[in-house]
Amino acid sequence: MSKFKNSTGYKIIENWMHQNDWQPFDFQYTTWSKYYTKHSGLVVAPTGFGKTFSVFLAVVIDYLNHPEAYKKGLKLIWVSPLRSLAKDLAKAMTNAVEDIGLDWQIEVRNGDTPTNIKRKQERLMPDVLITTPETLHLMFSQKKNSRWFKHLNCIAVDEWHELLGNKRGVLTELAIARLKQLSPKLQIWGITATIGNLDEAQQVLMPYKDLKTIQIKAKLKKKIDIISVLPDQVETLPWAGHLGRTMSSKIIPIIYENTTTLIFTNTRNQSELWYQIILEEAPDLAGLIAIHHGSIDKKQRNFIEDAIASGILKAVICTSSLDLGVDFKPVDCVIQIGSVKGIARFLQRAGRSGHSPFETSKIYFVPTHSLQLIEVAAVKEAVKQQQIETRSPIVLAYDVLVQFLVTLAVGEGFKKDEIFKILQQTHAYSYLTEDDFNWAIHFITKGGNTLSSYEEFHKVILDTDGLFKVKSRRIAMLHRMNIGTIVSDAMLMVKFFSGGYIGMIEEFFISKLKKGDAFVLAGRVLQLKQIKDMTALVTLSKSKKAITPSWKGGSLPLTSYLTHFLRLKLSDALLAKTSEKELKFLRPLLQRQNKASQIPKANQFLVELITTKDGFHLFMYPFEGRLVNEIFAALMAYRISKFKPLTFSIACNDYGFELLSDQELPLDKAKIHQILSVENLMEDVVASINASEMASRKFRDIAVIAGLVVQSQPGQRKTNKSLQSSSGLIFRVLEENEPSNLLIRQAYAEVFNQELEEVRLREAFNRIKNSEIIIKHSKSFTPLSFPLKVDGLRGTMTNEDLQKRIERIKKQMLKFEA
Amino acid sequence: MKQLATISLKFANQNLVFTNQRALFLETENALVLSDLHIGKSATFRKNGIPISQSVLIEDLQRLKALIDHFKAEKLIIVGDLFHAEFNTDIDYFKDWLLQFDNLKLQLIIGNHDRLSATLYEDLNIDIFKPSLKLDPFTFVHDLNECEDDAFYISGHIHPGYVLKGKGKQFIKLPCYQVFDNHIVLPAFSKFTGLNTNKTDKKNTNIVFTEDAIFKI
Repeated sequence: MSKFKNSTGYKIIENWMHQNDWQPFDFQYTTWSKYYTKHSGLVVAPTGFGKTFSVFLAVVIDYLNHPEAYKKGLKLIWVSPLRSLAKDLAKAMTNAVEDIGLDWQIEVRNGDTPTNIKRKQERLMPDVLITTPETLHLMFSQKKNSRWFKHLNCIAVDEWHELLGNKRGVLTELAIARLKQLSPKLQIWGITATIGNLDEAQQVLMPYKDLKTIQIKAKLKKKIDIISVLPDQVETLPWAGHLGRTMSSKIIPIIYENTTTLIFTNTRNQSELWYQIILEEAPDLAGLIAIHHGSIDKKQRNFIEDAIASGILKAVICTSSLDLGVDFKPVDCVIQIGSVKGIARFLQRAGRSGHSPFETSKIYFVPTHSLQLIEVAAVKEAVKQQQIETRSPIVLAYDVLVQFLVTLAVGEGFKKDEIFKILQQTHAYSYLTEDDFNWAIHFITKGGNTLSSYEEFHKVILDTDGLFKVKSRRIAMLHRMNIGTIVSDAMLMVKFFSGGYIGMIEEFFISKLKKGDAFVLAGRVLQLKQIKDMTALVTLSKSKKAITPSWKGGSLPLTSYLTHFLRLKLSDALLAKTSEKELKFLRPLLQRQNKASQIPKANQFLVELITTKDGFHLFMYPFEGRLVNEIFAALMAYRISKFKPLTFSIACNDYGFELLSDQELPLDKAKIHQILSVENLMEDVVASINASEMASRKFRDIAVIAGLVVQSQPGQRKTNKSLQSSSGLIFRVLEENEPSNLLIRQAYAEVFNQELEEVRLREAFNRIKNSEIIIKHSKSFTPLSFPLKVDGLRGTMTNEDLQKRIERIKKQMLKFEA
Repeated sequence: MKQLATISLKFANQNLVFTNQRALFLETENALVLSDLHIGKSATFRKNGIPISQSVLIEDLQRLKALIDHFKAEKLIIVGDLFHAEFNTDIDYFKDWLLQFDNLKLQLIIGNHDRLSATLYEDLNIDIFKPSLKLDPFTFVHDLNECEDDAFYISGHIHPGYVLKGKGKQFIKLPCYQVFDNHIVLPAFSKFTGLNTNKTDKKNTNIVFTEDAIFKI
């Protein structure tokens, strides 16, 4: 340690810190000294505590100590998942090196970088490059790219927790694998916020046996104030409801009390609606509030972000679009409207206020219905116990594998055996078999199994020098346009007729509108005039009736960590000694539930059988989040219809589900135990759902990532018209002709892991097996069942075949029309 | 052929047989009328590095052969987009397939995708028409924009589909024929095509079909 302390490099930095009156945090100092001893590692620190300077200055110090070990060109690659952070990062780093007196070039390279800058970089790379996983892969697809990376000393992956759980994480793993092959002495560093599986996160990022690795945790803790906003009486708050409009009178004073407030909603649709509500309630805030979500023009978003940073705005209504990103100094308050969904997510949002190290973050929680108050009590408990969700890394993503192989083939070409070895060293492909790898090679060189049917397919060719290469310029071009794993719906630009860009909107939504229809975007009412070349031309509309688009993929289910605490909180909600304000407030409602039925304890599972004039209802409350509850419901319907064929209407929310039938349910105590059995669980699940339809939906992303579907870019003319097709169509063709295709298999695997959540479902059934099953009969709805009755997401479960379904739907339609 | 289902309807005093095999039969001309075969589409995809098997073409042509045999058709009237893009191996396959018919006449109304040279059509013995073919009382065009009142049009181009909606967010998307007062839009014959389910501005009925049934909505 003292050796490091006395090193030239540290002396220079110490001196510089001294001049700036700056004391390093322990974790920063540890990182520097571990980097000095050639470690790789993972730094765990909350935002705002200078995590950037932990790894960045480590490299600077090392350079100052051993300038001879560094060659001209790239020394450090800084991978950040967010483009918006890059500029500020570059500025902070540049200021530091200039101050220290180092002549390093620090540059940004991503999708926003102008071509001339990129060309300049390609002639001579800067010393530090701040980039994204996608851009790194794009660089791999260029000719003679390995020369840029040969002398790379370090790769740092910022916000690793944001990449870990998705396919961008796999891209990152692959990029590191290739960089390590080109520069074997490479040191790998990750920076992450706290998540539940830090050791795994570290292992995924640096699985290489020759590395010395370490995990460095900042001992600093961020103080968080979680404040529930309660209405005056419990009755004011609906048992169920969408928006919680009644709460607006409580929100406005909060906006006035604070300097700048970020108001988070869970969907873009809600953010548009809340923007209108707040303006109506407090017209004098016009001009002082703004709306920010992923469909709003990037320039306008940047403008809003700048306005937040400079303190011009009182409040911004936003979605996950502002979960991450640049720190806004003036923000001293956050409001979350509606379900919190997950612990990490809630804390992330809270952390956007009171950003400096020793300030307190303040978050108000505004429930839109009563039961959400239990959620916030659950979050508080989880925070107390320091339990945060894990992020599971993706493994064996064949779509990303295929994309990576073609990327290499477009670039310098690859040797089969060499690349197989590299892949096996990564976490994502450590279980890749030789057969599966050979399939991937076959898929990109031959297309499919019946060779005669794929005659003109020559995507990747084995060249005479033993390298697999892409020779066609057009295929190379198409591939480069497609690199990455973020798949978005086909989007249209929304522009004023007179010019001026408003934002983006799903093609799906716009295609349902007719010319002259009014809709809301970015807080404005617009009238559709014309659609041309992936652009919707609009004018302002005075119409009072306008459709607010409901963007797809809006509602996340509750995480399993949160639901665990939710069950616990509910369990002791009625204990007299509880001092929790939320539970106290809810007591009248909970007592009503307990009187009419029961509040399930942690070791109980509640089943309610309710008969009304609508028919026969079965309610169950697994508290497992909407997705799992949906599968659970379909499974129950399937098992009940084995006793007696029935058609059910199904409703689900995050807490439970309802099965409704017009005939009496053939259920007694024994039968209820029987349908809740863990035996034959997955077999029955597969029999109860339309797996093929779900897989076809999952295949959408896979098809794009694997290059089977050419995406059209918003605002561009469809240049590849003759290559337009939908992933659904390709799924069908592949399933018919190449059922063994691994991408098809991957789609099914993703259904099992992500949609059916096999692990979570199995755990739920095991928990129920060890619980007491409480069966309650009632003639009217209970506080728990009512929300399902009025606004659960509805579906129908049936074992009828397509023809019968069509017949029935036809009959229903005729009834509607009559 | 999978199970054939038909509906016969009279238009302009002529009997039209709508089949669930994506073509209709015009009795007076003894002709099958179809649209949007997009021959060469799978090969175009293959050439651009997207592995789509030729079997999609083979299946389309098997279905067409079965229809020709069933109706003993002497003529195919193709209202556009017979070919998808450039010349490729799929078109060679189509050439060979055509040889099995001694007396089959092909009439093609040129569509936006049909950009192959005239000599190829000559070579394949296809009569080409642009922009329309009149066989009283019907006028065949590829994409109908404006129509005169006294004519009855049959067109293709838009690959119409229909969404059946039921209770509880259920829906099924199926191909269809769109039938207007003086105009019929044919479904795309090739199965390797998408469906356009946008609603029309004018009132119409839809003749919707599945693998083994056909019905009017």
